[in-house]
Amino acid sequence: MTEKAEDRKPLLSKKIDKFFTGLANAWNFVRRFFKEVFIPPYEFKEVVHQCYRIGVESLPLIALTGFIVGIVFTNQSRPSLSEFGATSWLPSLISIAVVRAMGPLVTALIAAGKVGSSIGAEIGSMKVTEQIDAMEVSATNPFKFLVVTRVLATTFMIPVLVMFTDFVALMGSFLSVNANESVSLTTFFVQVFEAISFLDIISSVLKALLFGFTIGIVGCYKGYNSSKGTEGVGRAANAAVVMAMFLIFIEELLVLQIVNAIRMM
Amino acid sequence: MRGENKRSVIVGIFVFVGIAILVAGILTLGGQQKKFVKAIHLKAVFDDIGGLQTGNNVWFSGVKIGTVRKINFYGDSQVEIEMNVEEKVVDFIRKDSKATISSDGLIGNKIIVIYGGTTVAPPVEDGDRLESVMPLDTDQMMETLQVNNENLVEITGNLKNLTSKLAEGEGMVGAALTDSLLAESFRAIVRNLDQASINSNRMINELNSFTSKLNQKGNLFNDLVTDTTMATDLRQSMESLKEAAANSEEMTQKLSAITDKFNDSSNSMGMLLNDPEFAETLKSTMENADSATYNLNRGMEALEYTWPFNKGFKRKKKAEEKVNN
Repeated sequence: MTEKAEDRKPLLSKKIDKFFTGLANAWNFVRRFFKEVFIPPYEFKEVVHQCYRIGVESLPLIALTGFIVGIVFTNQSRPSLSEFGATSWLPSLISIAVVRAMGPLVTALIAAGKVGSSIGAEIGSMKVTEQIDAMEVSATNPFKFLVVTRVLATTFMIPVLVMFTDFVALMGSFLSVNANESVSLTTFFVQVFEAISFLDIISSVLKALLFGFTIGIVGCYKGYNSSKGTEGVGRAANAAVVMAMFLIFIEELLVLQIVNAIRMM
Repeated sequence: MRGENKRSVIVGIFVFVGIAILVAGILTLGGQQKKFVKAIHLKAVFDDIGGLQTGNNVWFSGVKIGTVRKINFYGDSQVEIEMNVEEKVVDFIRKDSKATISSDGLIGNKIIVIYGGTTVAPPVEDGDRLESVMPLDTDQMMETLQVNNENLVEITGNLKNLTSKLAEGEGMVGAALTDSLLAESFRAIVRNLDQASINSNRMINELNSFTSKLNQKGNLFNDLVTDTTMATDLRQSMESLKEAAANSEEMTQKLSAITDKFNDSSNSMGMLLNDPEFAETLKSTMENADSATYNLNRGMEALEYTWPFNKGFKRKKKAEEKVNN
């Protein structure tokens, strides 16, 4: 069947046809996920296991990154604000930056690098070693067991990780602000929450859900469709990271437009 | 199995903490933005709200008491602001309070400020409309500032011209600042003025002393000013002087008439003084008289030695010698 398709004359060009075929496959993959996710049996244990791997095991790395981001962003913003004598606005500036954009984005990018690549490599190696075929033979739905569980885990763990990142980044920022501007923790958090709104928090959570879903689905798709032996596994892992990061930025841009439109209403 | 259970618990804790952070954030945000407190709605109508937005803060006496709930157009072109105000502060806001639009800091967000109000008026109630006071228009302020700037530019331009002229030594002040000779002259003037002031000081002191002496009782000048009797005497003296002056005037007139007559050659004195022919005749007469006197003198001397007159002369001489001894 595949050979027959290859023999066919390309519709537009070989590369364009390949791109759209890939898009259609991805769409089918996503559609299959939404179909499988609601059909029992539910693999709760595997979901919890993946949540542990994706959420708990990623926490130290993501928390450390968030902490550093908080300190660095505060220290980088200080000179610009001090030119206007407005260093008292640092907590507000940092809270807007962290809650609206940097928290979800940094978490998603780190998770894409750590989790996305591991999902792509893991499922890819299972694919090339025909473990997925073996699962099918043993009456286990590999898509449900491997893909649905991982995508659910990333989708729900990234927002939780974002909460941790936001908190840790704000604490890092507080340390810097406290050391330089002698601002108390209460004043700092009063200013932090004065600058943000419910829309910021809601959009941040929704964005994190979207980013988590993207990381999971891209990692699984690339791994599930890997080929050509161990080389294909490496490619799948690499492509999972690159594609996930690219899509995260695109989504960030789109969500920003939508949120701004809502904010203007 | 035990490992899986442990893992589940850790995931549960992890998710719980994450959600706890989210909930804490939401509650803090809600508390800070007064989302979960009982509130009443107040209204105010403005001509121009200057970019005020829904969600902006409402302040009363510098305390945040609510947020802007709704912004609607009202009437022809006015804007009605509906505010959520905490129910617990309602007792402090009176019906005659005013609302205006201000900003949180110099470049901060727009805010509604409620102020004023007297205890005579009752507290506000849900749906009340506060009297609005239009805020200072930044554009108008900028226009005024622009005029000030233009004036300032003109003033600084004039000042520049003035200082450049001063620096170049033009004009009196410029010369005074740059010309060393003029400066020296000025210094001399100032020294002289200084000396003059010292002198005038001394003079004033002396005048003081003098006038104090004049003011002493018994002094002529003091009497002149204060003694009424002397004033009467003086008045009489003046009258006498006037009379004397009148007499002297009359005398002068008479003298003038006499001199006029002297100048007239028709009378004997006038002829004596003015007629040259008469003068010549008088001169020749006088010469003749002199010559006659000389001859008479010689005649008299001859008589001294002539008899019988010589005896008389001898007796006179002897009497004179007797008197001298």
